[in-house]
Amino acid sequence: MKAVITSIVAAIILALIFSLPALAQDSGTITITMTGVNDISISLDKTQWPLGNVASNTEYTTSPPIEWCTLTVEGNCNVNTFILGEDAKWVDNPGAYEWTLSNDGTNGENVYGLWFRISGDTSRGYVPITKTEGEFWPYDGGSSLAPGDTKQFGLKLLTPTYFVGGRQMQTQITISAVAA
Amino acid sequence: MIGRIKLAGLVAALLVIFLPSFTLAQDVNFSVSPAVVKIDNLPPGEAAEFELTIHNKEELARNFTIATFQPPEKERRKGRAEFPDDSWISFSSQEIEVAANSAANVTITVAIPREQKWAGEDWEIWMGVAAESSDLLAVRLDVRLLVSTNPAMESTSNAGLAVGIVVGIILFGCGGYYYFRRKVKPE
Repeated sequence: MKAVITSIVAAIILALIFSLPALAQDSGTITITMTGVNDISISLDKTQWPLGNVASNTEYTTSPPIEWCTLTVEGNCNVNTFILGEDAKWVDNPGAYEWTLSNDGTNGENVYGLWFRISGDTSRGYVPITKTEGEFWPYDGGSSLAPGDTKQFGLKLLTPTYFVGGRQMQTQITISAVAA
Repeated sequence: MIGRIKLAGLVAALLVIFLPSFTLAQDVNFSVSPAVVKIDNLPPGEAAEFELTIHNKEELARNFTIATFQPPEKERRKGRAEFPDDSWISFSSQEIEVAANSAANVTITVAIPREQKWAGEDWEIWMGVAAESSDLLAVRLDVRLLVSTNPAMESTSNAGLAVGIVVGIILFGCGGYYYFRRKVKPE
């Protein structure tokens, strides 16, 4: 009888020795790393461009043209920046009427163009803003933006060659940043 | 006739107001931390949780929205593939109001389904935090979420268990055999 008890206890101990570490791995050692650089932030000193009435097939630029708004990198990490546009919608009934944002800055009937230009970016000049996210500061050709960096830029609007008048239109341009 | 239509179009065009704005805020300033979250050894079937802090640096309370989205391939970190399913990531709240000059936390949970095919993967997805606004210019801050799943969780666990059970059965069998042999042996 003593031998039976001894062998059962030995069997249980040995089984536990082998299986417990394995069972413990089920709950795993999950590592969550909040990578060293911890804070991402950019700021804009201007967000509105009230144009009032506009005419068809006409260009409008911000004033001053390329130093209208200042983007500042506020966080503690280098960032890559992007810019994204969208269709302009009729404020009173957004689903009923819109101006389509062109994909190359040109215009057409109910199609409008948007451009931006960064002060100091001599290689690109005015760059079309489209519905596909594009680089704001060209980090592929240079470096990403570092904390404390500032970039001044301006906008240009090219209104459609034809549009329905008397309607208040609204659009939004999103500038985004991600850790480089 | 065409000339009259063009003239009518021009007159109408002059009545249009583009990009109006009624809000008082003229700038946008907020931060998100951390900027990069790296989760390693997450076994399929398990979940990991972390917090994002949104700091509103303006003098007005603001609503912020949080959403995941797939970055373009060329923006992903080297060796990282597209995160397979956005629905594996959940937020304690997808919209949060942050008071002026204050910070608020959002809890994010990443749960990977218990399937062997998700083991040993390296993925990347971005979480965009945007300040709600009807202004022309808006800012979105993207947090990189890098998730690596445990490569050998299932096989290691099963092998250990199997060895333990086999050893237990063998020892138990030996003990039983020895006991019964002694029992049938005349004293």
